Amino acid sequence: MTYFSYFKAEFLVLLRRKQDVINALLFFITVIVLFPLGVSPSPIFLAPAAGGIIWCALVLAILMAIESMFKEDYNDGSLEQLVVSGLSLPLLVLLKILVLWSVIVIPLLLMLPLLSAMLYLPEGSFWVLVATLLVGSPSLFLIGAIGSALTVSLKQGAMLMLLVILPFYLPVVVFATGAIKAAQEGLPYSGLLAMLLAISLLSLVLSPVMTAISVKASVN
Amino acid sequence: MSWAWFHKLGSPRWFFLWTKSWALPLFCLGMVCLLLGLVWGLAFAPTDYQQGNSYRIIYIHVPAALLAQSCYLSLGIAGFVFLVWRMKMAPIFINAVAPIGAVMALMALVSGAIWGKPTWGTWWVWDARLTSVLVLFLLYMGIIAIQNTLEDIVLADKAAALISVLGLINLPIIKYSVEWWNTLHQAATFTLTEKPAMPVEMWMPLLISVIGLYLVVAGLALWRMQSYILEREHRASWVKQEVVGDGL
Amino acid sequence: MQSIVSLTISDLWIERGDRDLCKGLFFELKSGQVMRVLGENGAGKSSLLKVIAGVIAPLEGQIQYAGQDVTHDRKILQQDAIYIGHSAGIKSVLTVEENLRRYYPSASADELEAVLDNLSILDLADTPAKKLSAGQTRRVALARLWLSKKNVWLLDEPFAALDIKGIALLESHIEQHVLAGGLVMLTTHQDLHSIQSYDLVLSP
Ligand SMILES: Nc1ncnc2c1ncn2[C@@H]1O[C@H](COP(=O)(O)OP(=O)(O)O)[C@@H](O)[C@H]1O
Ligand SMILES: [Mg+2]
Repeated sequence: MTYFSYFKAEFLVLLRRKQDVINALLFFITVIVLFPLGVSPSPIFLAPAAGGIIWCALVLAILMAIESMFKEDYNDGSLEQLVVSGLSLPLLVLLKILVLWSVIVIPLLLMLPLLSAMLYLPEGSFWVLVATLLVGSPSLFLIGAIGSALTVSLKQGAMLMLLVILPFYLPVVVFATGAIKAAQEGLPYSGLLAMLLAISLLSLVLSPVMTAISVKASVN
Repeated sequence: MSWAWFHKLGSPRWFFLWTKSWALPLFCLGMVCLLLGLVWGLAFAPTDYQQGNSYRIIYIHVPAALLAQSCYLSLGIAGFVFLVWRMKMAPIFINAVAPIGAVMALMALVSGAIWGKPTWGTWWVWDARLTSVLVLFLLYMGIIAIQNTLEDIVLADKAAALISVLGLINLPIIKYSVEWWNTLHQAATFTLTEKPAMPVEMWMPLLISVIGLYLVVAGLALWRMQSYILEREHRASWVKQEVVGDGL
Repeated sequence: MQSIVSLTISDLWIERGDRDLCKGLFFELKSGQVMRVLGENGAGKSSLLKVIAGVIAPLEGQIQYAGQDVTHDRKILQQDAIYIGHSAGIKSVLTVEENLRRYYPSASADELEAVLDNLSILDLADTPAKKLSAGQTRRVALARLWLSKKNVWLLDEPFAALDIKGIALLESHIEQHVLAGGLVMLTTHQDLHSIQSYDLVLSP
């Protein structure tokens, strides 16, 4: 196995399993639809809340997608093969996260114009929303991968993984929605985007190693 | 410098034998301090000119909140020690302390809510401090849940250590984000515990109850660690000796 | 093929759950040798292979390969070894060819075809692995042994689910490998007909 052949195969697997990706996206849309129906469809409520609603849905959809990222590899012995491959496990894990991130986030980006129009997000802050998604979402995937690897041996690990990982997402949600809000109010938001970027970079340093430790602890 | 103590500390047997007789005295001493501080603070300390008597809840809230944070700090350090040096005592420590920390966070939350009623007029306000403690409580529950759910003990230990370390790194970021978020929404003007220049009759009992609670928690933690050691090392001959020797 | 190398296990102590699977285990395996790990179900055969491959960590003991201590960093051994466990790491949604390309991206088309032909799974090359029978899946996993240039083979129940022809095929391939200077460690309940092997018996 080489890093490239692994990357390619991971991509291929996700393409063949496109229904999983589609499910995550549908889940995202469904959570968003809950808010106008459950709280209020009025633009007076929705417009200021749009950024927050989209980010809450995003966090849940991403968690659901990450939760099972190692499941199949664990069951079919691929995870074991990664451990004994002689390649760097943190790097392999990072490649896997990268593939999943691109497959989930690119379709999400494509859906954003429609969804933010449905929530009356002011046009001026749309690009800030896109920016928060681009710089903030990597940290969600990186942190989530640790939880996913730790709970991979459980049959019903989804709830546990959500419970453990969700608190770690709070700062990302706070800064991302804060940036969108700041943009809506005409305040500077670049500092908040920098904060998100910093969190993503910190996760990039820590997560592959921690995920590798978790994978090794889980396969046995 | 000799590292012998560090390695000895990592040996459950040595730890058990060395600290066997400590738990009870620590706990009792702590209880005495805590009661002294509480009685002094609740009954004899002067009334606050702004908040009247309701401020007195700080004699419970502040020690509990401090302990909740200190316990989490210690979990993070223990997790790090375990991941780097694989010290056997570290997961035992995490197992023993996480529920205590969760109880402390819960105590801080409840006392904060009780204080909030006369001060803000509601049981809950999204105050930066209370929100941070709530997140801290959730972090504790995550560690406890992962330990209880994972059946493989090796995996459970590693998972709890990893999450603790991750939490320790994340805690300042969470606190900062919550504080920033709080200024954005400008909820409360009063915050619990941030009082300028408390007179000595007010902070002295507070200090005593903080010290008392630290000792109580240390005693409880030692006692819990000792029972975990016996459980985990039940195959070792020294444990059999210990249990039989004490029991008969 | 290569100069003589050896895999040396000393004082190995493996614990699983609350049980010692082996304690103070010593052995040396040299180029050209086959070792058969025997023992009842649950004796720890799979665990021993996993420890050597580096999937799980031993409680104590040393593992040396080619004169170097690899106990704490298994990289040198892993780069020269192939481990095939009960679940062999075949992705069900990928085809047979894609699965093998995942492990051996540089294998030429001719080489791949020859190996698949040899294992009589050539006409399955474009079939997704989830549509294969257990024996066919095992053949795909074992195809790695034909494509691999690695020296040390760690095989957990490699004959499981194989038919008589498959067993003979694998035996002769193992024989060729050790004749060329390879090392093979395998767990099986099967008697090996054509191969001279050392037996290691694990008792619970
Ligand atoms: N993941 C695991 N966690 C804890 N114990 C295990 C695990 N896998 C196997 N064991 C235990 O280890 C022992 C050896 O298992 P294994 O090596 O698979 O045996 P064998 O391959 O010889 O049949 C068994 O007693 C089994 O119960
Ligand atoms: Mg087996």
